[in-house]
Amino acid sequence: MHLGGHQAELERDRVMAEARQPDLEDPHVVLSLLESDQLVAAKRRTHFGPRKLSFGVRVLLWSLRVYVVVMMLLALISVLRAAHVIG
Amino acid sequence: MKRLNDELTAPLADRAQPTTETAAASPAAPEFERLLTHEDVDRARDRWEVVRARRKGAAGSFGGVRLLWLLIGPGVLVFLGENDAPSMLSYAATGARFGVGFFLPFVVLTFAMGFVVQEMTVRLGAVTHRGHAELIFDRFGRFWGHFAMGDLVLGNFLTLVTEFIGVRAGLGFFGVRPGIAVGVTLVIVLGAITTGRYWTWERITMGLAIFNALFVPAALLARPDWHAVGHAMLTWTPLPSGSHYEILVLILADIGATVTPWMLFFQQSAVVDKGLQPRDINAGRIDTALGTLLASTFAIATILATVPLFHHGINASDFQGAQFAEALEPWIGHLGASLFALGIFEAGIVAAIAISTSSAYAFGEVMHTGHSLNRPVRDAWPFYLTLIGSACAAAALVLIPKFPLEFVVLTVNVIAVLAMPPALAFLMLLVNDREVMGEHVNGFWGNVAGVTVTILLIIAGIGFGMATVFPKWLGG
Repeated sequence: MHLGGHQAELERDRVMAEARQPDLEDPHVVLSLLESDQLVAAKRRTHFGPRKLSFGVRVLLWSLRVYVVVMMLLALISVLRAAHVIG
Repeated sequence: MKRLNDELTAPLADRAQPTTETAAASPAAPEFERLLTHEDVDRARDRWEVVRARRKGAAGSFGGVRLLWLLIGPGVLVFLGENDAPSMLSYAATGARFGVGFFLPFVVLTFAMGFVVQEMTVRLGAVTHRGHAELIFDRFGRFWGHFAMGDLVLGNFLTLVTEFIGVRAGLGFFGVRPGIAVGVTLVIVLGAITTGRYWTWERITMGLAIFNALFVPAALLARPDWHAVGHAMLTWTPLPSGSHYEILVLILADIGATVTPWMLFFQQSAVVDKGLQPRDINAGRIDTALGTLLASTFAIATILATVPLFHHGINASDFQGAQFAEALEPWIGHLGASLFALGIFEAGIVAAIAISTSSAYAFGEVMHTGHSLNRPVRDAWPFYLTLIGSACAAAALVLIPKFPLEFVVLTVNVIAVLAMPPALAFLMLLVNDREVMGEHVNGFWGNVAGVTVTILLIIAGIGFGMATVFPKWLGG
């Protein structure tokens, strides 16, 4: 009998919950408990590809990068002042 | 082993995409069966406990409580980890300088901001099963990924140094020599990570983190004026008076004590390592809310504990960890001062564990090497080496004679706030990316909250910048 996604999930939960200890030596049991993209093998072999960066996104990222660089310099000046290294 | 590694890295035709299909139902199941790792088995063991508790919870017994117990962790740890040594010192400085008033509700607001952004990392981790650094590299490419990592590495390392400063100062109150204090901390960090199980590491670290509550009895010993506390919470008054520059720096430090880049990377990676799935997202939200509640309570307690210094006109502007405890002793007694010093020590230890783990997760994700606390050391030695190496380097710096410790403490929270807007931009773009998140993309109000937090942080940063360039404008 083929069960739909949610029903299959419920059935799996029922079987698993009734087991006192799962036999984790059995690979099928391990696979039943994890989602397919949760396995180390799946994660090592598939990646979310690069997204297309629109003009707006690139402007946003560059603006924030400039912001960070400027602010870090100002933070450095502020700390040097606090440490009385500069006036 | 080499064959297995080759098989694991062999490219598949498909791109990753969000799914809730079990691995057993995947067409690739026979292949996956051959490639199972120790990490998968440990995670499956944790999932089995969750499945069982969920089933019992549905049956109406105490399974619901057990389910929550099993699923909490990353949210509590990230917030109690962020109540670290420099953060507690910022709160202490706030209480000593301004007493009960505007800063009490302001600190609660910063935690609310923290909750908004951290909840997004729960969803990202549970849906994609990928860490934050990995997703940034995957979706934005190496160019932007390296920028994000640069901010993280700099911020994490400086913060880690301040944790060891806190540890040294906290135990210094009891006359413990710096070398011994730092050595004890390193042993605890090592002890926590060598269990080879995420679950055990998480429970040990949570057990340590709960000692953040030491600030509560310290606050009670300071006999707070609860009427004034209630009034301040409701009215945000009295407003702080004095140097506007000093107020601005404390505002920035208090924000940096709650919302920082390492938290985003850490919680998402911990959610992945814990094995949370999309149907656990609500539990992840409760976990994050619980962490927010506990951490904000302890932060407020720290402010209240140092209010006696404000009332007695003690200038605490140059105080470090142990000096706060020593200065408080006449008003909260030796017990209260000891609790305060132990709290700073604890804050440093938990944060040292969490932040070094955050660096190691990010390194492993970017280098595509094993990056899980469920892995034995021999399988993921670069991950463990990064973790231990960063902790040892930070510890060594703190022990260098005449090392400018104050210099680092002054910088660290400010840098955290300044580096946060780009980190939030990546977070917002990822959490709105339907290819990554599927149906779990941000809703309208999630975006309003996220954008508002980002804008507030940018305004705070620009205010700091203006005050630095034109200090006389703000009386600096």
